[in-house]
Amino acid sequence: MKDKKSPKTRLIARYGFSVAVILAGLILNYLEVGSEFLGFSSIGSWLVYVGFIMMAIITLQLISKKKRITDERAEFVASKAARISFVAIILFAFVVMILDGIKPIQISYSYFMSSMVCGIILVYLVSYKILNRKY
Amino acid sequence: MENKIKEIRKSLKMTQEELASTVDVTRQTIISLEAGRYNPSLELAWRIAKALKKKKVEDVFDLN
Repeated sequence: MKDKKSPKTRLIARYGFSVAVILAGLILNYLEVGSEFLGFSSIGSWLVYVGFIMMAIITLQLISKKKRITDERAEFVASKAARISFVAIILFAFVVMILDGIKPIQISYSYFMSSMVCGIILVYLVSYKILNRKY
Repeated sequence: MENKIKEIRKSLKMTQEELASTVDVTRQTIISLEAGRYNPSLELAWRIAKALKKKKVEDVFDLN
């Protein structure tokens, strides 16, 4: 099944989103909203940083010479890895709920969520690599 | 599902890379198919049969 969006449209959308993130960061900094956030001076500075990282990743993918073929096996492996990641999130949430019940978790919400996002990406990556060898 | 991709491909003196580019998949997919680790979709099976100069999908793939 072919993706309806053309690569150019997707590229514009991705660049547009990273620019929007940077602009949001600049606006928040201008309005002096928020205090220290995840090691940054403010949420605005963090958003500007994230926006530039996103832009750098998109640009690196764009200039990369490596041709990427996404065939049906890759899609099959990706969907299985996504399902494993989904189950991992549910199990993790269950464990966190129990742990929070035993002893309330004291870490900040932003730190917890950023760690969780990194964890999900890691689970996805590991399961993808394993499944890619299996199938 | 069993298949005869490897035998037919070798008889046609075709490399995995050539077959992969003909049917627009990665070489890794051809390796997986030949090893029987992955069952292709009907569309891919049809494309492979065509690339291997077979008229029917059943000439390449056999449902056991």
